[in-house]
Amino acid sequence: MLLVFLGLKALLRNPYRSILTSLGIVIGVLSVIVLVSIGLGAKALVLQSIQNLGPNLLVVIPGSVTDSGAQVGGGTDTTLTVEDAQAIREDCPDVWNASGALRTAAQVQSPHANWSTVILGAEPNYLPVRDWHLAHGGFFGPEEEASAARVAVLGRLVASRLFGLGNPVGNFIQINHSPFRVIGLLSSKGQSPMGMNQDDMVVIPLSTLQSQIMGVTYVGVILAAAESPDRVADAKREIRDLLRLRHHIPPGGRPDFDIQALSDIAKTANRLSLILTVLLALIASISLFVGGIGILNIMLVSVRERTREIGIRMAIGARPRDILLQFLTESAALSFFGGLAGGLLGILSILAIRSFLGWPAPIPWEGSLLTVAGATFLGILFGLYPAWRASRLDPMEALRYE
Amino acid sequence: MQEDDRPGLSVRLDSVTKIYVVSGEELPAIRGITLSIDKGEALAVVGSSGSGKSTLLHLSGLLDRPTTGAVFYGDRRVDQLPASDRAVLRNRSVGFVFQNFQLIPRTTAIENVEMPLLYQGVSARERRERARDLLTSVGMGDRERHYSSQLSGGQQQRVAIARALAASPGLLLADEPTGNLDSRSASSVLELLLSIQERSRMTLVLVTHDTEVARFATRTVRVRDGLLEGS
Repeated sequence: MLLVFLGLKALLRNPYRSILTSLGIVIGVLSVIVLVSIGLGAKALVLQSIQNLGPNLLVVIPGSVTDSGAQVGGGTDTTLTVEDAQAIREDCPDVWNASGALRTAAQVQSPHANWSTVILGAEPNYLPVRDWHLAHGGFFGPEEEASAARVAVLGRLVASRLFGLGNPVGNFIQINHSPFRVIGLLSSKGQSPMGMNQDDMVVIPLSTLQSQIMGVTYVGVILAAAESPDRVADAKREIRDLLRLRHHIPPGGRPDFDIQALSDIAKTANRLSLILTVLLALIASISLFVGGIGILNIMLVSVRERTREIGIRMAIGARPRDILLQFLTESAALSFFGGLAGGLLGILSILAIRSFLGWPAPIPWEGSLLTVAGATFLGILFGLYPAWRASRLDPMEALRYE
Repeated sequence: MQEDDRPGLSVRLDSVTKIYVVSGEELPAIRGITLSIDKGEALAVVGSSGSGKSTLLHLSGLLDRPTTGAVFYGDRRVDQLPASDRAVLRNRSVGFVFQNFQLIPRTTAIENVEMPLLYQGVSARERRERARDLLTSVGMGDRERHYSSQLSGGQQQRVAIARALAASPGLLLADEPTGNLDSRSASSVLELLLSIQERSRMTLVLVTHDTEVARFATRTVRVRDGLLEGS
């Protein structure tokens, strides 16, 4: 205990050098904590946007896709139909609701402005499937769907581009030069996990899009909502069996569709952001390691510089292990207090990132403690060699050292 | 560590030699010396510089190990003990006074005096009291907060003497203690050393090239070219 105190005292005798030496550790710990927090923030953002899409949601897309999930909503085959969507709705007990959808890009005009956006053709039950709501007006129903009516519901962004901040309901817009009556305004939904702005969209009846704009009979995607998040797997199996039957896929044959549960995508995204976090932490650890080498360097210099002091201490009765402990304490204290300062600065930086950048960076408490402990361990590790050298000095030679 | 002989420690060097090897060349500092130093004796070791008298002192104080031969404290052979046991012996039984004082830089007088007790694990309060008493007894009571760089040579040597006495050792070894001092502080330091020796009856070995200094000792041995001369 006394020798620990002795080590601390030696540091205080040289305050500037001590501060500069521990600066490497300070910066190392700071960057580990901040980067881990940024990584965790990214993860939170991704999970939040997936939550926005709905945790119950299943997406049926035509054609085969890789399991990265990147092609959700964009299958290239044309094998899915409105009838498939209806069958899913009616024959799958764990599916609560389903809607076919098809999208294209088009120019949209209001009397004052125009905007290039996504036109989404959807069935009347699209909104409940997506767990989406209207800000103003209404949505189209089965009559409009049956008669391929020219009605449109605007996404937030489109509405503001075409009509400014006013209420667009009741106005007319033109899609590919055909007039559509605006009957509703969607609430804001934000980004999808694929980075698409879901507010930059105009929703019209599926039949209208198929017959009047695109001239096709298929749907691009069928969105199905399971009864509850824990029924997603069952719902997925039921849809697969149903569609295999309807599409005459023989047992063991390759299906012409693919079903993605958003929870699967969430898992992938979760794994990716974990990899990101680990990678960031790893990069930051390098600076921590460099800080440790700084301590090694200074401790070696310090042992050399204080050779005579070591000789005196040995002459008056310091055992080799007393000397070892004294120098080890010095390096441990340098890294511990450096780590502590780095941890505090890191948490302050995270708070700053939160309030100035709006990034949802959490404070990684356990990670911070672990990093400070790791930095201390690193200091002891790198201090071991200089301390061992000090303890092995010959007292007589050390006393004569100039 | 000490046996029955609390006041003084008897030291015996048994045909010791010390050969330094400097860049492949053997330099004999002591060629074979047998010497008994009795309890409570004040022995002066004189000789010209390079005669090996300092090496003799370092061997006696376990700062260095003989190349051949043996060192005894009382009846106990001590030169072959492991480094940490020798450190404990130096701490409890030996006090050193060096020509160039060897105070620890950037450390106050009282911290220097406390240091041997620190390595014994003596409590802070006890250490401080003992160090304060010792500083007062060497006439440095009013300088305990001074750093060594703020003290004159004579004052530094007084602090060094207080430090050497801190653990109440049985053997006090002084290597040219007045060598770096002007004549006035030299004689006062010397008087201090001898009065301490007389009072405590510890064994004192005083290495000097000054035969005047040696006059104060109870016995004088002369070292020349690594050998004892007469006496």
